[in-house]
Amino acid sequence: MPVITVYINGQKISTESGVTILEVCKANNIPMLTLCHLKGLHDIGACRLCLVEIEGVNRLLSGCTTQVADNMMIRTDTDRIKRYQRITVELFFAERNHVCAVCVANGNCELQQAGYAVGLDHIRYPFLYPECNVDTSHPWFVMDHNRCIMCTRCVRVCTQVEGAGNWGVMNRGHDVRIISDFNTPWGESSTCTDCGKCVHACPTGAIWPKAVAQGQLTKYPEMIGELVEKRKLLQ
Amino acid sequence: MNRQELTVMADQAKTKHHHFSKKVCVCCGTSCMASNAEKVLEQVQQNIDALGLKDEVEANLTGCMGLCNQGPLVKVLPDHTIYQKVEPEEVGDLLKAQFVDKQPKKDKLLFADTRPEPFVNANDDPFFKKQHKIILKNCGVINPEDIEEYIAYDGYKAFDKALNSMMPEDVIAEIKHSRLRGRGGAGYPTGMKWETVYKYVNNQKYVVCNGDEGDPGAFMNRSVLEGNPHSVLEGMMIAGYAVGASRGYAYIRGEYRLAIKRFETALKQAKKLGLLGKNILGSNFSFEVEIRIGAGAFVCGEETALIASIEGKRGTPSPRPPYPAECGLWGKPTLINNVETYANIAPIILNGGEWFSETGTAKSAGTKVFALAGKIKYSGLIEVPMGTSLREIVFDIGGGIPGDGEFKAAQTGGPSGGCIPEQHLDVGMDYESLMSLGSIMGSGGLIVMDKSSDMVDVARFFMEFCMDESCGKCAPCRVGTRMMHDLLQRIVDGKGTQHDVDRLQELAVYVKEASLCGLGGSAPNPLLSTLRHFPEEYANRLVSPEVLIHQHLEL
Ligand SMILES: Cc1cc2nc3c(=O)[nH]c(=O)nc-3n(C[C@H](O)[C@H](O)[C@H](O)COP(=O)(O)O)c2cc1C
Ligand code: SF4
Ligand code: SF4
Ligand code: SF4
Ligand code: FES
Ligand code: FES
Repeated sequence: MPVITVYINGQKISTESGVTILEVCKANNIPMLTLCHLKGLHDIGACRLCLVEIEGVNRLLSGCTTQVADNMMIRTDTDRIKRYQRITVELFFAERNHVCAVCVANGNCELQQAGYAVGLDHIRYPFLYPECNVDTSHPWFVMDHNRCIMCTRCVRVCTQVEGAGNWGVMNRGHDVRIISDFNTPWGESSTCTDCGKCVHACPTGAIWPKAVAQGQLTKYPEMIGELVEKRKLLQ
Repeated sequence: MNRQELTVMADQAKTKHHHFSKKVCVCCGTSCMASNAEKVLEQVQQNIDALGLKDEVEANLTGCMGLCNQGPLVKVLPDHTIYQKVEPEEVGDLLKAQFVDKQPKKDKLLFADTRPEPFVNANDDPFFKKQHKIILKNCGVINPEDIEEYIAYDGYKAFDKALNSMMPEDVIAEIKHSRLRGRGGAGYPTGMKWETVYKYVNNQKYVVCNGDEGDPGAFMNRSVLEGNPHSVLEGMMIAGYAVGASRGYAYIRGEYRLAIKRFETALKQAKKLGLLGKNILGSNFSFEVEIRIGAGAFVCGEETALIASIEGKRGTPSPRPPYPAECGLWGKPTLINNVETYANIAPIILNGGEWFSETGTAKSAGTKVFALAGKIKYSGLIEVPMGTSLREIVFDIGGGIPGDGEFKAAQTGGPSGGCIPEQHLDVGMDYESLMSLGSIMGSGGLIVMDKSSDMVDVARFFMEFCMDESCGKCAPCRVGTRMMHDLLQRIVDGKGTQHDVDRLQELAVYVKEASLCGLGGSAPNPLLSTLRHFPEEYANRLVSPEVLIHQHLEL
């Protein structure tokens, strides 16, 4: 791959082409907030936390899906970007039901970390509290839709890495929900192999193993990326 | 079929149609069909026979004539006499009066119930007088189910010209020269888009026609597909030749049964004549077209969602770049244009880009089809040169506001657009002018509102539409439209405070800029434009926080 030059927040960086802005930021220790991105999965640009400003482009683009180009001038740290990140995190908290104090993922949640990162002290929008069910039908795992932020990391890991395709998405707008098979209880799934990959891929306390008490959940999302890399070596 | 056979066929078809001195067109668009047009057509045919006029008068079904509220419509050519609300049992008298007594029946003429002096020649009627038809020229004139008649009206002549006397580069240059811009909403220069797809080297490329038309109240694309399907197909074929694609998909909204049926018929007929398939007209260009039926979600009209839908996936948008031109259907370079964009192609190739660019304004060439609706005397489908003023459309063509109502605003661009208030009635309808007023051209919806309209509620209504139609993939649109809707509802209910308006302002700009696709990107437009043009309607609704607390305590 040819080497190109990009500028991120004024810093001159040499990088190979064909990689995303997010990858360049990671390699150069430039912080970039993400939630729907997970290394090893195909990126979809859904959470919009990784938005960047690019000189000469009149829209904000998601860093996880946009490839760098030679002499690209990228900003990740403008007031506008920071303001928007804060609103996005606020909207996530207001959308469903996130009471961290009673959540298994407390202290181990990527949404909570994003909240700290944007300096969230209160939410300025009304809480929507939609009706969401908690699916405990699987022998080992729980799916709590109250904590789901619709990042679809579970859907993608199950399809793209495990190859099982248990998870899907139904409905539109604020009624979207993750579903197991054809909207049946997870425990009755005919496709789930009980591999547990979605448990680790999920950034919040939406999917968790039953044998875990509140605040005790540890996840290992990096495992997904490592697994994908190892498979490449085998090929 | 080879070139010569096409020419022979065109000549024969012309002779056949010229043989008749008169033509009776019965509108068989969706709306007229719903009010018994087929029976009317049957009666027309029977009565022509009964009156012994079989050799002079030909009768035909046609597509929409643009005045669906007045249907079923019957038009006599070349006199351009239009009869409205024709019942099957009235046909006999009508034709006798027209052809035997040569005294058109006044009380059945178009607008006989609303104009003191209805016009015998409908082209003299103000509704038609200011129109200029390129796209709809043969809609309501030719039989959309008969390829021969399309060919008799110079159909496939442009395709033949492109294929046999122009290189793909020449075709693209001609389209660029015409300054045609995409009619699907954003107005991207069509020639530039074609050139981009042309330049990507790939042994498989695709051409897609976007006929999803999900805007509420819009039926511009439906009418073209129903009334002149071959014109859209011919545009796609020329595009396929120009960009180097061998396969096309026409994505048509599922509710458009008649449009689907007529386009299917068009495909079959074109295939039968060898205009589709391998080595078309003896050249080495091969092209196939398939129909894909839309699942009925507004967001599926967005190009990346539409592509996902054709691929059989959930119809949700994907981030761009990469654009479909580079990486579209099944990862291949894909040209995607709107129905109306394609319908402009054959006339441009036939008459030249220069000819096309003479209509309209410097930056917005050609004409635009609008679906004129709302509080207006004469609603319907109209085609006017770009840059025609809103005033001319509303008052000259549309006849103004019915009763003693007064004009307040017009919404362009449907749920993605904005409103244009009275003081801007003289704005020219072109891409830049509408944008500068905080609205957009969109695909051609035009809703007129009178003084009784509540603009805050209008904003709430469109926000509800976007909230329901959001695909739910990205956070700003999914949650942001819901929040904005709830805040607007609060103001409509008389419980909003200045604080709510401030939050609305902030959310609107955020959702516009942070959303993944154009649905979220334009959902705040109706809100922002009503805030801009009618701030007092918001202000008058607000209460102070103290009052709100009191109300709350009293409950
Ligand atoms: C939410 C949304 C809905 C859309 N719906 C349509 C539609 O129904 N028809 C259409 O042609 N374009 C629609 N578009 C625009 C398409 O994405 C695309 O720009 C267009 O088909 C390109 O064709 P054009 O260049 O000929 O305009 C929509 C865009 C968005 C964001
Ligand atoms: S446990 Fe594995 S197979 Fe089952 S849903 Fe999760 S990722 Fe899919
Ligand atoms: S369950 Fe978890 S991984 Fe799946 S969409 Fe919800 S938050 Fe994302
Ligand atoms: S902007 Fe709305 S419709 Fe578009 S991707 Fe986001 S949620 Fe879906
Ligand atoms: S991490 Fe890029 S959009 Fe979610
Ligand atoms: S369907 Fe007959 S005028 Fe529109």
